[in-house]
Amino acid sequence: MSSAGETTPLLPAHLYVHVPLCRSKCAYCDFYSLPLAGVTEDVSTIAGSLAAQARAWLARDVEPQRLKSIYIGGGTPSLLGLELAGLVALLTTWFPLAPDAEVTVEANPESLDPVLARALADAGVTRVSLGVQSLDDAILSFLERPHDAATARAAAQAVREAGLALSLDLICGIPGQTTQSWIDTLEGALVLRPEHVSVYPLVIEAGTPLSAAVAIGDVPEPDPDVAADMMLLAQHVLAQAGFARYEVANYALPGAESRHNTAYWTGASYLGVGPGAHGMLDATTASAVGFVPARGEDVARLRYSVVCDLREGLTPMPRLDIEVLTAAETRREDVMLGLRLARGVPADQAAVAGAASALETLRAAGLVELVDSRWRTTERGWLLGNEVFSAVWAGE
Amino acid sequence: MTDPTLIRNFSIIAHIDHGKSTLADRMLEITHTIADRDMMEQVLDSMDIERERGITIKAQAVRLEYEADDGVTYQLNLIDTPGHVDFTYEVSRSLAACEGVLLVVDAAQGVEAQTVANAQLAMNAHLEIVPLINKIDLPAADPERVRHEIEEGLAIPADEAVLASAKTGVGVREALEAIVKHVPHPVGDPKAPLKALIFDSYFDAYRGVVALIRVVDGTVGKGMKIRMLATQTVTDVEEVGVRRPANIPVDKLGVGEVGYLITGLKDPSIVKVGDTVTLAHHGTTDPLPGYREVKPMVYTGIFPIDGDQYPELRDALDRLQLNDPALIYDPESSHALGFGFRVGFLGLLHMEVVKERLEREFDLDLLATAPSVEYHIFLTNGTSEFIHSPQDMPDPGTIDHMEEPYLKATVLVPPEYVGAVMELAEGHRASFKDMQYLSKTTVEMHYEMPLSELIMDYFDQLKSRTKGYASLDYEYIGYRQSQLVKLDVLLAGKVVDALSFIVHKDKAFARGKMLTEKLRGIIPRQMFEVPIQAAIGGRIIARETVKAKRKDVLAKCYGGDISRKRKLLEKQKKGKKRMKNVGSIEVPQEAFMAILKVDE
Repeated sequence: MSSAGETTPLLPAHLYVHVPLCRSKCAYCDFYSLPLAGVTEDVSTIAGSLAAQARAWLARDVEPQRLKSIYIGGGTPSLLGLELAGLVALLTTWFPLAPDAEVTVEANPESLDPVLARALADAGVTRVSLGVQSLDDAILSFLERPHDAATARAAAQAVREAGLALSLDLICGIPGQTTQSWIDTLEGALVLRPEHVSVYPLVIEAGTPLSAAVAIGDVPEPDPDVAADMMLLAQHVLAQAGFARYEVANYALPGAESRHNTAYWTGASYLGVGPGAHGMLDATTASAVGFVPARGEDVARLRYSVVCDLREGLTPMPRLDIEVLTAAETRREDVMLGLRLARGVPADQAAVAGAASALETLRAAGLVELVDSRWRTTERGWLLGNEVFSAVWAGE
Repeated sequence: MTDPTLIRNFSIIAHIDHGKSTLADRMLEITHTIADRDMMEQVLDSMDIERERGITIKAQAVRLEYEADDGVTYQLNLIDTPGHVDFTYEVSRSLAACEGVLLVVDAAQGVEAQTVANAQLAMNAHLEIVPLINKIDLPAADPERVRHEIEEGLAIPADEAVLASAKTGVGVREALEAIVKHVPHPVGDPKAPLKALIFDSYFDAYRGVVALIRVVDGTVGKGMKIRMLATQTVTDVEEVGVRRPANIPVDKLGVGEVGYLITGLKDPSIVKVGDTVTLAHHGTTDPLPGYREVKPMVYTGIFPIDGDQYPELRDALDRLQLNDPALIYDPESSHALGFGFRVGFLGLLHMEVVKERLEREFDLDLLATAPSVEYHIFLTNGTSEFIHSPQDMPDPGTIDHMEEPYLKATVLVPPEYVGAVMELAEGHRASFKDMQYLSKTTVEMHYEMPLSELIMDYFDQLKSRTKGYASLDYEYIGYRQSQLVKLDVLLAGKVVDALSFIVHKDKAFARGKMLTEKLRGIIPRQMFEVPIQAAIGGRIIARETVKAKRKDVLAKCYGGDISRKRKLLEKQKKGKKRMKNVGSIEVPQEAFMAILKVDE
């Protein structure tokens, strides 16, 4: 990885834009978003403000490079309606784009119709990540999702007809979800012909309605063994259909891996724009924009989150919360994130990061293996990833 | 020095939470012993823990100047006593310094177990008892019923009981009047050689040990040479004085007076509560009655979670012992927990308070093992020994028989809960002796039971099974023979010495089974399967398994999640450090106390 003083400062090649709006808050979600009804600005103002925050980066004294990916996530970006297409059009006009750039937007089934899908395709979107979660109406209503299975199928159809790549998000390990319901969801998802599927075991996040329900005993705590079985089942069913698991939660047909998300796991820097968004800069760029001292301190990487609130209006250059990592921390973080990928990390990279002995211990416990000079998780290590990540991060 | 006829020495006794400390505060206020601006809730409870828990741990003494209705100013010495059964001996010494007591009873709660126990201590000490019914401002107050309970249950005339609300101040002056009127003044011989009772002591970093004394005969003053009879220590008097409540030096203390005595002695173990102070030369050889060595009844292992804190733990115990000579400790080592101390306490409350002070005042992370009592073991070779740790139990083949401490427990409870108390007793090897109605609403039940059963969560269960109505008091009645066995717990096939306990053989199977079930819920799932077994002498009597964990992964990790999740992993790692690694198994602290929470 690059470190301070070795490279010319360049803006990252990946751009993330956060649209913190939802029609309603789902029972399990702790992401930053506001209910659309509670926001006074109209969606065109919001889209314009987000675009302005992105553009402000181009005004800084750093050379932009061609974007390899743009990802508009949320929240529910599709709630912006046709303004979302407008936002994409502005970004792809202002920022130089690599010829094969991946441009993804997240959408929820209830706010994605064929008109919007076509508009997005025309604006330069290449890929839609659809928040399907389940194709079982009982489960969807338990999760307080604002859509049903039929709506999800129709939205997927619209994406396909607009000629866009399709990724589906699915959740397993939900209290009340039977194995059969999960199999039906997996098989039903494959019928929609996605190139990419993400599978998440349900996590009870603090502060969500679901965690309150668990606390008072209305809802049983998700059984981690059941979640493990469902994750294994998903891997099996998807593999039959030609999908390889390339990361902890992500499956793709060959060549359809998300390039944007892969950037997160491979130490590439990225810009984050919009309330609650995160970004990452290498030390060279961070010091060129004046976020960290140019020399002296041991800073190799800077992570920031954007602190601003839709309800207070969006300024082009909002306050950023900054976290810096030393060179050693950066190396360990790269190994930790790299082990999320099925292909793992090269043994020499792990050795330089000082993770070799931790990995040897993990290997003895059957969590990682060394294949073709790369460390990668075993099936057990995949499901017990936190043991792997925390050992590598601690360097123990 | 004050004319003894103008002195009244009294103590306030009450069941916990009946308002003793608040009443004392009001007395300090209306006698202007303490300025309003310095008034702090519960002045006499000086430790944070005392104020928070509403309990009194250390005895205190304060002198009040009170101008009575007859126009005369009296010297009232209020001696505040610990209210808890763990400190019965200290209470008895405080009472020995008084001629009377104010018996405080909550107007809603009525007579409770410690009301009875404390009233009996006062009666045994032949003290004048002035009843006071407190909290009459409460909506649930029923002073007539309580008056009846005092007369019926305690055989104390209560028609003149003071009706008071320490909270609002009503009746406080009447209480002081009643003390002046009813409590006898001290009687002693001013010409006789000095005879004074040490009823408490504390350690001052600059002055050394400060003894609180009550002069019985003679006088004591600065520069005198004195002798402590129990320890035969001779020393000079550096200073005497009175407590208002700050120390005010005076030249001399005479017959009947209460105050403090500083000698410059630095070793608290020489200045013993209950000992008699006299003159070094030509003093009395006849000590005041009632002195005894304080002996711990409950023992527990205390270990630092981080082994590096062992020296700090030792220093902290040394420091606490200065003010708490009843605290004793010896180094103990455990295969599972490393180096720590076996610490002896007067009772469970004492244990809790000490552990809390160690953690709070000395910032230590500690792990305590389940408390045990002191067993008397008679060996086949004719010798005997006391052990206070299950680890010290000899090979069963060498044991002829064993004895354990027994106590007489008194439970006061409304009649509708008699059945619940009986049921609980059966599970705790308590044998029923008798019961009597103190009033229509209160039954007094007597049991004899092993101390080891009392510390087995008996009190908490008594409270919960009687919806909080039952109150408990107990006194030790000596050692009795029991059929006892040592029960070991094995984690992943290895005995964890710190989890072993001694139990009656008839209870061993049930407790072993329940403990393993309990531990299965407490020990978190690890990377590998952990069998939990209970065994007696190598024979496995119960087994449970903590399954290996299969799934523990943060599945969603994109740009915004990386910092947050990294911190989460660090936090989890810290949480693990609060656990003790026994072999390769992470065992949370509560596992070592689980045996106490085994419900039957």
